[in-house]
Amino acid sequence: MERKLSAITLGHGSGGRLTSQLTNSIISNFELVNFESEDCAWISEDMAVAMDGFTVTPLSFPGGDIGKLAVCGSTNDLAVRGVRPDMLTLSLIIEEGLDMEQFTGFMKSAADTCKLIGTRLIAGDTKVVPKGAADKLFITTCAIGTRISVNKLGSVRIKDGDILILTTSPGIHGSVLAALRFGIEAPELISDCAPLWPSLSPLLNLDVHAMRDCTRGGVGTVLCEWAESRGLGFEIEERLLPKNESAASICDILGYDQLWLAGEGCALIAVSQEDAEECLKRLKVSSVCREAAIIGKVYNKRHGMAWMKTHIGGERIIDMPAGEILPRIC
Amino acid sequence: MSSSIDFLKAKLAEYADEKMTFMEVCGTHTVSIFKSGLRSILPQNINLLSGPGCPVCVTDQRDIDSIISIFENSDEKITIATYGDMMRVPGSISNSKKRSSLADLRGGGADVRVVTSAIQCIDIAERANNQVIFLGVGFETTAPATAILIKEAAARNIKNLSVYSVHKTIPRALRALASNEIGAVNLDGFLLPGNVSVLIGERPYRFIPEEYNKACVIAGFEAEPILAAIVELARQTKFKTPEVVNYYKEAVSADGNRHAMKLTYEVFLARDSEWRGLGEIKASGLGIREEFQDYDAEVRFSIIKTEAQVTGCECGKVLLGIITPPECKLFGGACTPTSPVGACMVSGEGTCGAWYRWNVNYQR
Repeated sequence: MERKLSAITLGHGSGGRLTSQLTNSIISNFELVNFESEDCAWISEDMAVAMDGFTVTPLSFPGGDIGKLAVCGSTNDLAVRGVRPDMLTLSLIIEEGLDMEQFTGFMKSAADTCKLIGTRLIAGDTKVVPKGAADKLFITTCAIGTRISVNKLGSVRIKDGDILILTTSPGIHGSVLAALRFGIEAPELISDCAPLWPSLSPLLNLDVHAMRDCTRGGVGTVLCEWAESRGLGFEIEERLLPKNESAASICDILGYDQLWLAGEGCALIAVSQEDAEECLKRLKVSSVCREAAIIGKVYNKRHGMAWMKTHIGGERIIDMPAGEILPRIC
Repeated sequence: MSSSIDFLKAKLAEYADEKMTFMEVCGTHTVSIFKSGLRSILPQNINLLSGPGCPVCVTDQRDIDSIISIFENSDEKITIATYGDMMRVPGSISNSKKRSSLADLRGGGADVRVVTSAIQCIDIAERANNQVIFLGVGFETTAPATAILIKEAAARNIKNLSVYSVHKTIPRALRALASNEIGAVNLDGFLLPGNVSVLIGERPYRFIPEEYNKACVIAGFEAEPILAAIVELARQTKFKTPEVVNYYKEAVSADGNRHAMKLTYEVFLARDSEWRGLGEIKASGLGIREEFQDYDAEVRFSIIKTEAQVTGCECGKVLLGIITPPECKLFGGACTPTSPVGACMVSGEGTCGAWYRWNVNYQR
């Protein structure tokens, strides 16, 4: 029924419905696929792999840079499935003219982040392209790791009655970039870009069912994907969400939904009711997850739907972003 | 839930002893009403309609076609700048050879920029070696910024910048709705826009209670003041005492921002304007005055006005409150936020977009 788009648009990269359409159109070309809609893929019973490409404007932002981001991105995809990121590959596409000192700084910050996680660099590639053929620096990383959790974590294990925990305020990284791009001063706003490993490792002997890194498309997209894939109802409560006033103001000004913006060190966790409090306690020990909070619950009603109980006691649907997220007029 | 919300709900239940239909004029109110879940706690008797106060939704598709035609028919390179929501608004989508929206145009390699303030176009024009066109859209709220842009461009004698104005003004549209000359549903009152009122003040609305006996409340954008405003609308309706009540006094005065309005009319003058879905409304648009015609894209470039394409979209009926979005046969099927047919679906402030995204009682 939907109108076909004739070219790739920025909306295809926004992490919402158009992105799903795009990935599905790619996968349909392959005969041999072993694809599950999760953060990483199993290559054996105990080994998993995750891959991610990075392009960010500007290359440095409060709280990080493209080097740190590239390492956090793929290793976080392993961490949320209970996999310890052991190894990393790093592929660089560099635009001619990139400042050497700046470049070295990004690589050092990537290396420092690897050290923090305990990840070894095992392979890499560099390509330099003529000015204009790339936007300064593109990084692709691939993280490989070993499963530490007893069971394989994944959305298929989410059950009616599970408790939802969010490790930090939604959409902080996205708000930081939006503020920078649109020239809005927000001195107190610092990206949540951080490695989730080892912060999530103490949870792995609890009855955690699924975890997801809320990057592109934000917490809203993860809730929708879980709701649609599990056919259960996902309720969150506005008053329980970890607050970040600066991020909220940026979203207010630009007309963004904070639930749609990316975090880069923000995980949504579905855990059994019995272990929820313990899970929260263990999360709060880590500096990355100190603001973690129980934000909602999974229900066996309104199947396939995610919704929010609002601060005035009303309700609204949570949907995925439908395309490129754009600032409003007034 | 705060006790004041409970108090307001109780008051509303008391006043709304029969069916009442109010229109929230402003798109930002629409968003706030849906996002805060306010709609889901209103009593059955209160029917809330979203009005024409989303600038994206009321922009005529032929205006999108026109700006795209400037781009396609010009021999020189052109940069187009506009506000974010305008990017995905479809023009004449049934003509597959034409690029339909500005986002499509950008996807095809055109230089289309998103700005958050009109004045950013000065910087864009000064850095560019080519023509820069600002698609000026919005109501009294954004028109002063476009006026400043044009004045600044004139002061700096910038030759490569012009404005395509689709700016519109609210009071004329409200008269059309209140008088029912365009076939809207019968309204009991208006929740008046906060932003626009900051600029125009309270006075321009007084004809609504005086001539048409309809309740009026100006309100800010948080859920609680909006609910309070709905309570006041219900009170005025029940006791048949329509007047313009201002619940946004911290920002809105009786006279508004005279300086900004003066500035607006130094650069613009009222002209007839086509509102998507509503048709032409007399003197409801802002055209660029002759003395600034060097900065008027409609003068600088040759524009081919197209005929509006029939899309089957019932935006007009939705904007007039005759049908609710799910009653349009395209809603949720051929028309979704991912591939919008009508502008009401494009913008987060559009009625259809808001229903689709946030209305918990509408099961997809």
